[in-house]
Amino acid sequence: MSVAVKVNELVKVFGEVRALDDLIFQIREGEIYGLIGPNGAGKTTALRIISTLLTPTSGIVKVFGHDVVHEASEVRRLISYLPEEAGAYKNLSGSEYLEFMVKFKAEDKETVREMVGVAAGISGLGERLRDKVKTYSKGMKRRLLVARALMTKPKLAVLDEPTSGLDVLHSVHVRGVIREYVKKHGVTVLLSSHNMLEVEHLCDRLALINKGRIVAEGSPAELKIKYDASNIEEVFAKVVALA
Amino acid sequence: MLRGFGNVVVKELKEFIRDPKMLIGMILVPALMFPVMGYAMRISMETAEESVKGISVVVMDFDGGGYAENLTEFLDIKGVTIVDPNTSILDEAVNYIQQHENVTGLIVIPEGFSSDISGDSATLYVYAAFRGKGAGESAGFEVLNALVEMYKRSLAQNTFDVDSWSVVKGKPVHVSPDALFGIMMTQYVGMPIGIMMLLIFAMQIAATSVASEKEEKTLETLLTLPIGRMTILAGKLVGSVIGTAIGALAFVIGWNYYMGSITSAFQEAPGVNLEAIGLAPTLTAYLLLGASLFVTLISALALAVSISVFAEDVRSAQTMVGYMYIVIIFPMIFMMYADINALPLPLRLILFAIPYTHPMLAARAAFTGEYLTAIMGLGYVIVFTFVVLYVAAKIFGTEKILTAKLKFRGFRFKRSKQSLANTET
Repeated sequence: MSVAVKVNELVKVFGEVRALDDLIFQIREGEIYGLIGPNGAGKTTALRIISTLLTPTSGIVKVFGHDVVHEASEVRRLISYLPEEAGAYKNLSGSEYLEFMVKFKAEDKETVREMVGVAAGISGLGERLRDKVKTYSKGMKRRLLVARALMTKPKLAVLDEPTSGLDVLHSVHVRGVIREYVKKHGVTVLLSSHNMLEVEHLCDRLALINKGRIVAEGSPAELKIKYDASNIEEVFAKVVALA
Repeated sequence: MLRGFGNVVVKELKEFIRDPKMLIGMILVPALMFPVMGYAMRISMETAEESVKGISVVVMDFDGGGYAENLTEFLDIKGVTIVDPNTSILDEAVNYIQQHENVTGLIVIPEGFSSDISGDSATLYVYAAFRGKGAGESAGFEVLNALVEMYKRSLAQNTFDVDSWSVVKGKPVHVSPDALFGIMMTQYVGMPIGIMMLLIFAMQIAATSVASEKEEKTLETLLTLPIGRMTILAGKLVGSVIGTAIGALAFVIGWNYYMGSITSAFQEAPGVNLEAIGLAPTLTAYLLLGASLFVTLISALALAVSISVFAEDVRSAQTMVGYMYIVIIFPMIFMMYADINALPLPLRLILFAIPYTHPMLAARAAFTGEYLTAIMGLGYVIVFTFVVLYVAAKIFGTEKILTAKLKFRGFRFKRSKQSLANTET
C-alpha cells in the first residue's frame, strides 16, 4: 500500500511557542488515520500544514509525493479540508454553497450537477438545501460541510473534529457517512477528534500527539493491548499521564 | 446595593475604555478632529484677514473728472493699494488681476462718470477675480464691494450704479462675485464630503469582505481550494471595485445632475451661462475626476483589505479601518475651508502626501482649470496604489492572512504571539 501522507521531522514555531516538535508519521493510502491529543497538543497545526494553510518552520510534509510548501497548488487539487470551526456563506442556499465550492474542482456543468447530487445524498438535507445557510441548525450546517468535503471524492480528506459540537443523532450520521463513503471510494482520511469512541470506531490507525510530538501510534486494538486498557479513552489518559 | 452598583459602573468604564470603537468615536474624534477643523478654519480666516488688510486694486480711470479723482483718494485713505497694470486696455487689465493673486479686483471708471453722477445716470464697473481657492476667497471682494458702497453713501444725493463682474479664468463674466461664490461654495463643501463618504463606503465593503470570511469561518476552506491566493485577492478587490464603481458612477451622475440644475437655474438670470463662463466642468474635468476617484478607490480598497487581514471579525475590521477615516476627513476639512496653496509648507506637504486629498483636488480643478496639480496627484495616487496592492498581495500570499492579529492593549497595537500560538495549536 502506497504512502498518502508523509510527515518527517516537522517543526512549527509561533514566536516562542514550539507547537510541533519533530513530528513524524505516515498515512497509508485508503486508511482512516486519527490524530488525538489534549488541547494545545498541535493537532490543528499539523492538519493546517498538511492542508497548505501554514508553512512548516522546518521538516518535510508530502501529500501523495507532493511537497506542501513547494507544490501547494498540486496538493490543493488532491485534498479536501474541513476545519474544526468551519462555516458556510450564510446568504447562499445550501445547494448554491455546494455549487460554488465544487466549481473549483469540476470542469463541466454535468460534473458540477453530479457532485452536488452526491453532496445532497451525503448531507441528507433534502429540500432544505434550497434554504439559505443562515436558517440551518449547527448540525445541519456541519452535515453540509462534511458533504462539501467529501463530494469531490478527494484523494485525501483532512477532517478536523468532524463531529465537533454535534448531538448524538447528527454525530452518528456524520460518522456513518465518513466510514461508508470513504471505504466505498477509497478516500484516505486524516482526522482529529476529542471523541475517543469516535476514533476507536472510525480509525484504522491512531496517533496520540502531546506537546507537538507523537507519543503513541497503532491501530485501536494494538494500542489497547500495549497499554493494557479496555478502551482508547484509557489509553489516552495513560499516555498523556506518562508524557 | 452600593457595592453592586459600583461593580457595574467599574465594568462599564472598563468596557468603554477598552473598546477601540468607543475610543475612536467618543474620544479620539472629538479630541483630534475638532481642533483640526478649528485649525483649518483659523487658517482660512487668517488668509481672509490678510487679504482684507492688504487689499490691492487696479483702478482704470477713463473719466479723469473730479468724482473719479475723489474715488481714488477715498480708496487710498481707506488703505487700499492702487496697482498700476501699465495698460489702458480693459482685457489686459482683467488678465492682470487674474494672474496676480495679491490683486483683489479692478475698478473701471468710465468716461463721463463725473458728469453723469450729477444726472443720476453714472455707472461704476467693479471686477473681482474668481480663483476657486476656497471659503476664504470671498473676503477680498466683499471688502471691495463694501468700500465702493461706502463711497457711494458718502456722496449723499449724488449716486451711481455699481455693475459687478467676475473674472473667471481670465475672462470677464457678467455675474456678481457674491452670487458666483454663493454657488461655488456648495461645491467647496459638497464635493469633499461626497468623496469622503464614497471612500469610507468603499473601505467598509472591502474590509468586511475579508473579515466576514474570518468571522463566518469560511476563509480556511477557501484557502485550501485549488485556486491561487492572488486570484482570491483579485476576486475580492474586483468585487468590491464593481460595487464601489457603481457607487462612483452614481456619484458622478448625481453630481452632474446637481451641476446641471445649478446651471439651468443660473441661466434663468438674464445673460448668464455657467457653461459659457467656464465653470461647468468639461469632459476633461470629468475624466480626470473619474480617473482620480477610481484609482484612489482601488488603493483604499487594497488598504482596507490589507488592514482587515489583521482583524478577527467584521467589527474589529471596521474599527481598524475606522482609524483610516482620520486621513480621509483631514484633507476634506482643509479642502472645504482653506486654500491649500495658502497653508504652511509642512501642512501642505502632509496634505499632498495623503492620497485621499487628490480626488478632492481633482474635483476643485474641474472649476479652477488647474489640471496640472490634479494630473500630478493622479500619478502619485497610481504609484501609491501599486505599493498598497503589492503589500496586500504579500499578505495574501503567506500564512499571515490566517495568523496575523492585532491586539488592542494599553492604547497600542501589538502582536500577541502567545495567544496566537494557543489558538493555532
